[in-house]
Amino acid sequence: MVDNPNPGAGLDLDRLSLSRRELLMGAGGVLLAGGLAACGGSGSSGSTGGGSAPAGTPKKGGNFRLGVTGGGAGDIVDGQSIVNKPDQARLIGSWETLLTYDEDYVLGTDGLAEEVDSSVPGQVDVRIRSGIEFHNGKTLTADDVIYSINRILDPKEGLFGAAGLGSVDPKNLKKMDANTVRVGLKQPDSTIPDQLGQYFNGIVPDGYERKNDLKWVGTGPYKIQSFSPGQQSVAVRNPNYWRPASEGPWFDQVTVTDFADAAAQVNALLGGQIDAITDLPFAQVDSAKSQGMEVLEGTGGGWLPICMAIDMDPFTDVRVRQAFRLMADRPALLEQALSGHGRVANDIFAPFDPCYSSDLPQREQDIDQAKSLLKAAGKEGMTVDLHTTNGAAGMVDSANVFAAQCKAAGVTVNVKNDPNYYGDQYLKLAFSVDFWGTRAFLPQVSLGSLPKPCPYNETHWPPKSGEGSDYVSLYQQALKETDPTKRCDIIHEMQKAEYDVGGYIIAFFNNLVDAHSPKVQGFKVSKATLNLDTFGHGFRTIWFA
Amino acid sequence: MKLGGIAGFVVRRLLLGLLVLGLVSIVVFAATQALPGDPARSILGRTATPASLKALRDQLGLGGSVLSQYFSWIGGLLHGDAGNSLAAQEPVTDLLGDKVVNSAFLVFCSGIISIPISVAIGSYAALRRDRTFDVSTSIATLVFAALPEFVVGVSLVVIFATTVFTGFLPAITIISPGARPWNDMTAMILPTATLVLAVTPYVVRIMRASMIEVLESDYVEMARLKGLPERTVIVRHALPNALGPTFQVIAINLAYLAGGVIVVEYVFNYAGIGGALRDAVSTQDLPVVQALAMLIAAVYVVLNLLADVATIIVTPRLRTRL
Repeated sequence: MVDNPNPGAGLDLDRLSLSRRELLMGAGGVLLAGGLAACGGSGSSGSTGGGSAPAGTPKKGGNFRLGVTGGGAGDIVDGQSIVNKPDQARLIGSWETLLTYDEDYVLGTDGLAEEVDSSVPGQVDVRIRSGIEFHNGKTLTADDVIYSINRILDPKEGLFGAAGLGSVDPKNLKKMDANTVRVGLKQPDSTIPDQLGQYFNGIVPDGYERKNDLKWVGTGPYKIQSFSPGQQSVAVRNPNYWRPASEGPWFDQVTVTDFADAAAQVNALLGGQIDAITDLPFAQVDSAKSQGMEVLEGTGGGWLPICMAIDMDPFTDVRVRQAFRLMADRPALLEQALSGHGRVANDIFAPFDPCYSSDLPQREQDIDQAKSLLKAAGKEGMTVDLHTTNGAAGMVDSANVFAAQCKAAGVTVNVKNDPNYYGDQYLKLAFSVDFWGTRAFLPQVSLGSLPKPCPYNETHWPPKSGEGSDYVSLYQQALKETDPTKRCDIIHEMQKAEYDVGGYIIAFFNNLVDAHSPKVQGFKVSKATLNLDTFGHGFRTIWFA
Repeated sequence: MKLGGIAGFVVRRLLLGLLVLGLVSIVVFAATQALPGDPARSILGRTATPASLKALRDQLGLGGSVLSQYFSWIGGLLHGDAGNSLAAQEPVTDLLGDKVVNSAFLVFCSGIISIPISVAIGSYAALRRDRTFDVSTSIATLVFAALPEFVVGVSLVVIFATTVFTGFLPAITIISPGARPWNDMTAMILPTATLVLAVTPYVVRIMRASMIEVLESDYVEMARLKGLPERTVIVRHALPNALGPTFQVIAINLAYLAGGVIVVEYVFNYAGIGGALRDAVSTQDLPVVQALAMLIAAVYVVLNLLADVATIIVTPRLRTRL
């Protein structure tokens, strides 16, 4: 995985989903237009729907106190970047994106843009809603959108969004009128609208910098009032928020407190000092429930692959790769690494992508078949080193559990837990464990499954010959393809090759397990990249009973 | 002459303390910055690029020889400049200022409560030697001395905050930025109680032992034989002499608190130097780790110095020997 400065602390920047919507790639049209439907219509968004949403009419008031682990002195506030998890909470409450994802991870125009049109290859037209004000009273215009995109692309800023928007030509951002921007692309790229919905690609005012006097200015439902890294931040309700009053925000104030330790965080929740926490330890789920807390378990898309480099001994032989994939007991790996808080996976990634190949047969442990494949390859009773590290929770457990499972096939896997795993040898190992966050299929491929300059290709995919050797050209076709059905066909073909002859063993996708006091209403069980139902949609769709 | 004697002693001890701090600084530096390998690379891990490595090396002052790095670091410290935090990108002194105050207040609260209590309990136990009070406090102090602080802390939280008496006391200490810990004293109760329970047993036991020794001494017997009231014997003659060894233990315990608050701050999410140190170690923020290690070492040196001076002042035998 990448761009994660602090993986041990559970930072989820990489658990970002870059999924996409059928509509988006939309029937020739590729037009995302916001209508009444996009605004949710009936007010009180979040009060109904979703089996878990508690009944009740939203009402104003209160100080919502959130506890988040994983922060520290390096915490920042930035409308387009995060370092630690508490930074996500601050960003989400105070900045907004052009497009947004709903609870089912479907991209739509419920954000700052009322229309995004990518029907003409090589350009994307963005029309923002008129009359939206920033926290300082300035009206949002096309200039702010252009500034925001330029800031993301500026290599000096080193922002996460730059990679995903790489095909945007910064010299070719045109202001068509006060509310419309034409984004010129260097080459066709059907994933641009997805990128505009990524939470870290927030829209900031023209001239924004992390350290100048616009540093806390966004359009979001809450205005940041104070911030102390590693300790606390306070945000107050934005009185000029652009959505109808019936859609929130409801709290007077949102206080985000950093916690060093999950136990202290849980104690503070049980003792009533805070109202919600991120990342409830799995071991405490039952105890928290029995003491009256509500546990919110959303589906995430993070994964911990066991990686076989397809051009390195012993994995050059596809039969060896297939044998190792058949030795994995995926439900047992899920149970050990995540205490069962996830879903069993099938050696392919990007589960939220609408083109995810869910109809491929679920691969299961088959020791006999694995043994005969190894015998055919002349590798019976082989020994191999599996490299891992404490990079993300579960990486070491996964390696150890898998090594034990391989014994049944007479294979000896020596687990090497190396604190310098991410040093010079990273990506040069034949057999290793890594971790990735939630992404849509094509953006994930661009980071981990293509030849250089793709930065993190652990398995050295794709193969030079045979099935999968046309992977790169398929990827390029998919980027250009505007017909969603045809694009899914291409993606299915790519996933089939990975499923058949790839180098990843992917046992599970994670869940996000959070907890809150029963007096907080409006949380939904959602498909999300961020905790607590994307922090209660930026603390806007939740309220105190 | 007597005062001059004490002053001379203080000066000698101060110089010795400075020497100790100098040695500590070499150890701290060696253990953090001068280790074999490249700290910049180990900090950046897989995000390392040639440009970011160079920038970080410059920032850490890794350019010159080990010796010149050491002197530029220690020179900065002597001018009150501990460098910039790598994680927070701001001066270490700004980052730690409030946290030092918060931790010092926690140690102060614990000391101001635990010292009088333990001296009183220890003395009384010595006077009531082998009777019910003495036996029961002996057992209690043994039990609490054996329990690690986090067990005591977590137990207190379970009893008074989360499970038994839910919400009776705050489970953690939230100190808002800009606020001071004394703005909300209820939130100080559990962390202070934890530290008091951690420190008191040792002081009680040494106070009792030293009081018993003094009570059996010739001069106490002499005082009694002279027909002085028991109260005068204890307060004027026994207690000052028994306090000497106790000061040493109190000093060591207070100094221990300065470092030992780490665990308690962790349990209560207390915004002090303990949390800062934990955070700095996990993010490999060398300037912060170095500054805190030096600070805690300085606290040890100063408290021991104070204890020695106090011991001499209350102990006539030592005082006259100077």
